Amino acid sequence: MIKKIKISISERIILFFIIILAIFSLISFVFIKEKCIFVKNHNPNNIQFDNPQNIAVLNTNCGNVIIELYPNVSPSSVKRFKTLIGSGAYNDAAFHRVIENKLIQAGDLEFGKRENLDYGKVGTGKSGLGTIKSELDVEFKFLRGHVGMARTFKMNTEDSQFFIILQDEPLFEGEYTPVGKVLYGIEVLEKVKFIDKFHTVPRPDFINYFKMLD
Amino acid sequence: MIIFRVFLLFFILITPVKANTIYNLIKIPNLEIYNINTTNNLRYLYATKPFRLGVNVKKNIQCFNSDKKTLDKKYKIISKNLDRYSSDFLKKINLKYIVLCENLSVAKINTAGIPNNLTRTLILDIKFNETYFERAIHHEVFHIINDSHKEFFKENEWKNFNNKNFKYTKCSTCNNKWNLSLYNETQGFFTEYAKSTASEDMAEVFSHLMFYQNEINNDDTIINKKIQFIKKNILRIDNSFNF
Repeated sequence: MIKKIKISISERIILFFIIILAIFSLISFVFIKEKCIFVKNHNPNNIQFDNPQNIAVLNTNCGNVIIELYPNVSPSSVKRFKTLIGSGAYNDAAFHRVIENKLIQAGDLEFGKRENLDYGKVGTGKSGLGTIKSELDVEFKFLRGHVGMARTFKMNTEDSQFFIILQDEPLFEGEYTPVGKVLYGIEVLEKVKFIDKFHTVPRPDFINYFKMLD
Repeated sequence: MIIFRVFLLFFILITPVKANTIYNLIKIPNLEIYNINTTNNLRYLYATKPFRLGVNVKKNIQCFNSDKKTLDKKYKIISKNLDRYSSDFLKKINLKYIVLCENLSVAKINTAGIPNNLTRTLILDIKFNETYFERAIHHEVFHIINDSHKEFFKENEWKNFNNKNFKYTKCSTCNNKWNLSLYNETQGFFTEYAKSTASEDMAEVFSHLMFYQNEINNDDTIINKKIQFIKKNILRIDNSFNF
């Protein structure tokens, strides 16, 4: 006669913990793999804008970043920005410089595109349209979400590269040309790939597309 | 080959820990904001740790962090003097960042300040000799002015003010003429240090003009020519400038 073996209390506890552990492992595996899981994707067509002609939509793997451009603050830079957005030049450009919770930079059209990413030169590329002058006459406080034109160490060397700051940067005022502000989707940018201690991101995330709303 | 490339890439891409906004702007490490809410838009930064700078591997410029009490005390003096320069004027001469640290030296020779008009930065030694400290601030500001407007401060024109048999040394540290005390009998120079180079001489005249303001009464014709030269050219940069 086969004797039925009863599970002891300690065995029940161990089994319970194993099941809990398995559930946690599964959940964390899913979350780690899917970094965009809690990121809200904003649909610009469902939002009313005061100046729709100055609204740009930057799409990344985690969704849309909706940016309002400031032509009154920096007319030349916004004009350049719109020209490049309109021609699709920013599509497939890498977020080549990402500093966790501080700043993300993209827009190297020469060495930072998906099809010809050059790690040795990314960040030094040009658009081919020439440089434009820094526009610093208007007092402007750089706060989280503001978009600015990147430049070399010298003034008046702005071209196509831009940055978006993820924290307030009081020292940027009077240094960099402001071009706009993220209205929706800053959390999308916080999910852009960065590597701690690395200046340039190896195998970076890319802009899927960047277009004007109108 | 692939491993070699990966290895090389690692060293090309890696940077010191995390990116620092101040370092990216003016290429000086270990700084924090002291005060940026100023009427003339000067940004005061202070060293949190010692730092070294230099164009070559030697990095022969060195400065040390200071304690808060000294910083607070000296900031008051420095800002009082630098507040005399308007925002417009500072823009025209390319001065925006003031770095406060102590025991500043170049090649182990102590100095009151190091101006750099390209980075728009003036590093000031807040432990510099107290007797000359305030005047030295204006002296260093003049170097920024001069570097930004060389077209106005022509050394050959300046040298003609001196007696024909006088010659400056090749550099400001090429001899031991470092005394900053005001001469009783000027004979063309405010201080011994003014005799080192034309640009130091100009800086000494400017700093005396700024520090003593209208108290300079001098019968020295050379000094008076030099004063007029400095005044004329400063006003060419900004005609609303007040000495």
